[in-house]
Amino acid sequence: MSIEEANGIRATVRGFISRASNVTNLDDDDNLFDSGIVNSLFAVQLMTFIEKTFALEVGIDDLDIENFKSLNATTAFVMKKTGRSGG
Amino acid sequence: MRHLLTQSQKDKYEEFEAFVTANVEPFAEQWDREQRVPDSVLSKMAECGYLGCSLPRDYGGQGFDTVTFGSLNEAFGRGSSALTGVLTVQAMVSMALLKWGTVEQKRTWIPPLARGETIGAFALTEPGAGSALQSLSMEFAQRSGADTLVLNGTKKWISCAQFAAVFLVFGMLGPRSVACVVPKGARGLRVEPIFDLMGFRSAGLAQLEFRDVEVPAANLIGKPGFALSHVAPVGLHFGRISTACSALGLLRGCFEESVTHAAKRNIGDKSVGDIGMIQSLIASMGTDLEAARSLCYNACRAEDEHLAEAFEQTLIAKYFSSRAAVRAASDAVQIWGASGCHGSSPVSRYYRDAKIMEIIEGTTQIHEAILGKLFVDRAGRSSK
Repeated sequence: MSIEEANGIRATVRGFISRASNVTNLDDDDNLFDSGIVNSLFAVQLMTFIEKTFALEVGIDDLDIENFKSLNATTAFVMKKTGRSGG
Repeated sequence: MRHLLTQSQKDKYEEFEAFVTANVEPFAEQWDREQRVPDSVLSKMAECGYLGCSLPRDYGGQGFDTVTFGSLNEAFGRGSSALTGVLTVQAMVSMALLKWGTVEQKRTWIPPLARGETIGAFALTEPGAGSALQSLSMEFAQRSGADTLVLNGTKKWISCAQFAAVFLVFGMLGPRSVACVVPKGARGLRVEPIFDLMGFRSAGLAQLEFRDVEVPAANLIGKPGFALSHVAPVGLHFGRISTACSALGLLRGCFEESVTHAAKRNIGDKSVGDIGMIQSLIASMGTDLEAARSLCYNACRAEDEHLAEAFEQTLIAKYFSSRAAVRAASDAVQIWGASGCHGSSPVSRYYRDAKIMEIIEGTTQIHEAILGKLFVDRAGRSSK
C-alpha cells in the first residue's frame, strides 16, 4: 500500500465531499452520515463519483456503511477495490 | 438543441416522433377518456424495443444512451403523458435492478423487462408516506429459519400497477429499509385500480394491498438497510430524467398547439397571434421551452458521462420542466379559449396532465427543499 496513493485518493474524495457539502474542515474520520454533513442525495452521488473517478463499480457486496462512513473509510475502500491495498 | 445531437441520436428522435405521430397522438384523447391504454400500443412499444431501451443489449435491451432515452420521453410526452408513464416506471424498476440485482436476479428479472414482455411498477409510495419516505409502514418479516419474507401493508398511487406483472416493493424489515421483487400473482396481493384522477388518467394507477404475501428472500434487491439510501434513489433518478423530458414534450405540445391556433384563428380582421398579449404568452412559453430543453439534455449528458453532478442537474431539469409545463398548459388553454376547455382539445388534457408532473418523482416542494439547501450551502462555503 502506497502512502502517496492513499493521500492522493483521500485528497480527491475530500475535494468532492467539500463540493457536495458546506464543510471545508473535514477530519479524516468524521462520520459523514451521522453528523448530517451531507444531504440525502449524497450517498448515490458519492458512489457515482467514486465509480467514475477511480474506474470501479460499486456492487451489492460493497453495500456496507463502513465503506463510506468517512474520508478514511472511503479511501480504504477505493484502495481495496482498485487492488492498491494489501488488505 | 438538435445540432448538439449525434446523427444516431437525431435518427432515433425522428423514429420516435414518427411512432408517436402514428400510434399515440391520434388515440391519446380516447385513452384519457377511457382511462386505459390498450395492450396493442404496449405491444408495439415492446416490438420497437422502447420498454427496455436503456438496458444493455446483453440482457435483450437496446442500450440507448441517456440522451436518446430523454428524447424518447420527450417525443412520447408530446403525445401522451400517461403513456410516457410506462417508460418512466419501466426504467425505474429496470435500472434499480440492473444496478443492485445479483447476477442471478438480473438473469431472472431483466430480460423479460428488456423485451417488454413484462411491465414493472415501482411500489414506493404509501397512503401515509409520499414525500416522507422515512415513514414507510410496509412491513417485511423474515420467518426465522425460513428463506421467506412475509409482506403486510398498503401501497398507493402506483403507476402502471393495473397492468404490471412485477412490482419492486419498498418497506421496512425491522429498522432496516428493504426492496424486494414481488410478482403480480403472489397470494395475498390485491391490485385495486384507482380511477378518476385529474390527469394521467390512462397510466393504470392502482393501490396494492399486501396481506401475508410470501416471497422468497432471494427476491431482496440490495442489502437490507440500503433500500432508501441506494436502491430507491437509482430508480427515482431515472424516473426524474424521464419525467423531466416528458414534461418537456408536453411543454413543446403546448407551444406548437398554441402557435398553430394563434396563427389560424381570427378575431375580426386580426389573427389571435397578432394580439400583443397573446404574443407575450407565446414568447414566455417559447423561452421556457428552450430553457427546459437545455436543462433536460444537459442532465441526460451528465448521466451519460456518469458524473455525480447528474443527480443535481436532473433535479433542476425536473423542477424547471414540470413547473414550466404547468404554466404553458395554463396559457395554452387561455390562447385556445373556449375550445381549449373542451375534452376534445389536446391542451385541455395537457392542462390536467401537467399538474401531475409537479407531483410525481418528488414534488416541486421536495425539489425546492433539496436544491434550496444545496445552493445556500454552496454560497455559505464560497463566502468563507
